[in-house]
Amino acid sequence: MGPKNFIVAIILAIALATGIFVATRLQAPAALKTAFVLPAPMPLPEFALVDQDGDAVTAASFRDHWHLVFFGFTHCPDICPTTLQILATARNELAAAGEEPLPRIVLVSVDPERDTPTLIGKYVDYFGEHNLGITGNLDELRKLTSGLGIYFEKQPGDGADYSVDHSAAVLLINPNGEFHALFSGPHSIEDYVHDIPLIMADQ
Amino acid sequence: MRICLFLAALLVGACSAEPGPALVATEVVVTRPMPGMGMSAAYLSLTNNSDRIVSISRVTSAQFESVELHESTVEDGVARMRAVPKLEIPAGATVTLQRGGKHLMLMRPTGPADTLALHFYDDEDLILTVDATFQSELKNSSTN
Repeated sequence: MGPKNFIVAIILAIALATGIFVATRLQAPAALKTAFVLPAPMPLPEFALVDQDGDAVTAASFRDHWHLVFFGFTHCPDICPTTLQILATARNELAAAGEEPLPRIVLVSVDPERDTPTLIGKYVDYFGEHNLGITGNLDELRKLTSGLGIYFEKQPGDGADYSVDHSAAVLLINPNGEFHALFSGPHSIEDYVHDIPLIMADQ
Repeated sequence: MRICLFLAALLVGACSAEPGPALVATEVVVTRPMPGMGMSAAYLSLTNNSDRIVSISRVTSAQFESVELHESTVEDGVARMRAVPKLEIPAGATVTLQRGGKHLMLMRPTGPADTLALHFYDDEDLILTVDATFQSELKNSSTN
């Protein structure tokens, strides 16, 4: 190969590398807006709670479906219904866009003292008929929350009128029953509609 | 006589030129209590058109046993809700009670109702009454 051909070969190699680089960049998945995907999905801790029908809920109950899990309570008039409304609306928009699978929305009560299965059932039903409400024994609840880094603490109040501080995050659980991604908030319908299909497609 | 009539007219005119209400409520949204739930929330903007601070220390409604001014906050990833003892609105200012911030927590409905009246007090002085219709903002519209 003469010097001229060598230079041409170098130029072609650079052009080819540049083309591959540009093509790779163009095909790269869009960036997530707010979700944080865990580098390694984390299995749910072992716990034993109940759903709105009084049926047992364990870590195994989260298998085979995607779940969006929020920790709140039914006597919360502001942040909890607003968050559940955002999740429900985002799910409806994903359904309207033909996205599959759709995540099931879950409210885990951090106030099992007041949130009976019947009460949490009425609450979650208000936001959609396929939603799951979870409540039960406080010690079992702590097994779940502490294993996921979720905080909650009952505040002093007047009799039955008390509030509960709680983590504002929403967790995405994958069909293997693993904590897969975190939406730490503030929550927006647009962000969920954008990020959820990307996360599921990358699974 | 003409002078007397003129002065009387001026006096009537002065009396009819009353200032507008000191406190005005706009953008009122009261969520309907969810089935089986003993509480709800109200959101609104309050504008103080007077030249003095307006303080709201108490809110009542015949449609609820208790109404409290609360504030939701999210700090360091933790959602909290606390009672606010008094709401002060500076002269000429507007304070907005909105989702995720200050709001009225309505507790224990006294019975089924489509409308309600909210009475705002500064100590014992009634300074504003707001009539509103419950809104079911949170639709049960799951499609799958």
